[in-house]
Amino acid sequence: MNMNSKQLNILLADDDADDCLFFKEALVELPMSMNLIAVHDGEQLMHLLINETIDLPDILFLDLNMPRKNGFECLSEIKSSEKLKRLPVIVFSTSFEQEVVNRLYSNGAHYFIRKPSEFSQYKKIIQQSLELVDQGVLTKPAREDFVLTVKKIL
Amino acid sequence: MKNLITEKSNELLTANKELAFQNEEKEKRAAELIIANKELVFQNDEKEKRAAELAIANKELAFQNDEKEKRAAELTIANKELAFQNEEKEKRAAELVIANKELAFQNEVKEKRAAELVIANKELAFQNDEKEKRAAELVIANKELAFQNDEKEKRAAELTIANKELAFQNDEKEKRSAEREKRAAELVIANKELAFQNNEKEKRAAELGIANEELAFQNNEKEKRAAELIIANEELAFQNDEKEKRAAELVIANKELAFQNDEKEKRAEELIIANKELLAFTYISGHDLQEPLRKIQTFVTIILENENANLSENGKYNFKRMQLAAGRMQQLIDDLLAFSRISTTELKFEKTELSWIVDEVKTELKDTIQEKNATIETNELGPVNIIAFQFRQLMYNLISNALKFSKPDVPSHILITSRIIKGSSIKNEKLSPEKNYCNITVKDNGIGFEPHFSERIFEVFQKLHGKEVYAGTGIGLAIVKKIVENHNGIIIATSELQQGATFNIYIPAS
Repeated sequence: MNMNSKQLNILLADDDADDCLFFKEALVELPMSMNLIAVHDGEQLMHLLINETIDLPDILFLDLNMPRKNGFECLSEIKSSEKLKRLPVIVFSTSFEQEVVNRLYSNGAHYFIRKPSEFSQYKKIIQQSLELVDQGVLTKPAREDFVLTVKKIL
Repeated sequence: MKNLITEKSNELLTANKELAFQNEEKEKRAAELIIANKELVFQNDEKEKRAAELAIANKELAFQNDEKEKRAAELTIANKELAFQNEEKEKRAAELVIANKELAFQNEVKEKRAAELVIANKELAFQNDEKEKRAAELVIANKELAFQNDEKEKRAAELTIANKELAFQNDEKEKRSAEREKRAAELVIANKELAFQNNEKEKRAAELGIANEELAFQNNEKEKRAAELIIANEELAFQNDEKEKRAAELVIANKELAFQNDEKEKRAEELIIANKELLAFTYISGHDLQEPLRKIQTFVTIILENENANLSENGKYNFKRMQLAAGRMQQLIDDLLAFSRISTTELKFEKTELSWIVDEVKTELKDTIQEKNATIETNELGPVNIIAFQFRQLMYNLISNALKFSKPDVPSHILITSRIIKGSSIKNEKLSPEKNYCNITVKDNGIGFEPHFSERIFEVFQKLHGKEVYAGTGIGLAIVKKIVENHNGIIIATSELQQGATFNIYIPAS
């Protein structure tokens, strides 16, 4: 549980430099105090989570399509590890497919976000998800609330 | 005196000598008669032995007749069996003919059918083999019969000769008896008795002769019968041959059909693979196009936001046009992905409540429904056997279309119903009249369309309105049609301009 005053530790796993840039830009304009670590493939992510003696981040934004180890594999490893399974995972992906979303929900992801194409929406959806984390709303939502959309945030 | 006595004694001597001589003669005659009687007794014994042999021969003949009758009965049974098998074969051949027609008619389901025919043909071949064996057995049985008939004829001929011999010996005996009658008056009675016995024996021999003739006649009849049976067997064997030829022709025809089916299946498989590759290509390319496009859109919005002050009005306008074009491209990619996904994913049918699907779609379209002030009315939505995720897409497309093409000044009203109907109640060649169908209707009160567009609206990229008036890619209803086809059903659209539109779906009810 995070207190409002505490700095949010955010971990981003995305191989795309543009997307990392968008993410950082979006965070800049948010009012919260945050610390962002970005990794660029699944192996880096799992290495960081398992071997480094850092505290678990408050939230992981996980891209699906990454080199060396994809988002699905990372999610499975996280959810089957005693140390990591409480880490909230928000899947952050370009494509939106019902079957994929269903699979992610049953594999234990907290939320699914389809990367918006408009930057203003991009910022809003990240803000919305970080507010959920910051408020300590870490319980897994019902299936119909699993996909976060900008409209819901409005 | 002395002379007288001497004369008298001389006469007595002579008379005594004469008497002695006569006595001797009589004794000789009696001895001859005794020998003659012994001879006759011996001959009678011989005759009795002969008669006993004849009786045995007759019994043997009667036994052989019985055997022959049994054989004939067996042959009759064998013939009936053959006739029954012929009928069976005709039935089989008729079934094969039907199977062939069926095969020619239903090429699509040929593989299974061909396999069944191959099995049926093997069975036929097996039965033909069996029949050939049986025919071979009959031929052997017939040969055996003919051989036994020959044997019997030989035996009958021998019997006839034996009878003639007997008759001849009897004649001889009669002649001798007559001579004896002259020679022995005392034995006449004995001889008559013997002659009577001989007559009796002759009668017996004559009766035996008649019995032999009767047996010979019966043998002839039986031979005729056997000959007729042989002809019948040959006829049956001929018919068997004909039927085997027919079966062989059918087997060849079946093989030819099976070959053609194989070729067609190969071709169909190739086409299916090619089609799948094409759809997979569409899917993968669509998928990979999404990311760069999204980034273009994001960068445009960043520029518009951050560099707004530095852009001329014309520059801003051009960026907005760029945004619109990118948005349309995104919609196109999304729709193409949906279209190819419908064709590439596995078709898994499951019993699903139609009302759940409608509720899900209503939730998803909640904002638009509010915006259009729309009501969605449903009734009698029962369980249907469908590919759930595809049907959800179908309902989504139909309902969102109804909302999109609503009249601007009238609250949108959409009515969704389902019922079970008989195929015969809908005049459409794609529906089987005797099958039951689930008829799902989606009816709206929107702007509708001219009736002559009722087919065209289901074609890919066909739109009735400019993109400035109603956004869209013209793929939505093509997806709907494809999904209905995946469910082996049909969809019919009916409308008049400004009179709302009705979409009727008919899918087989489980």
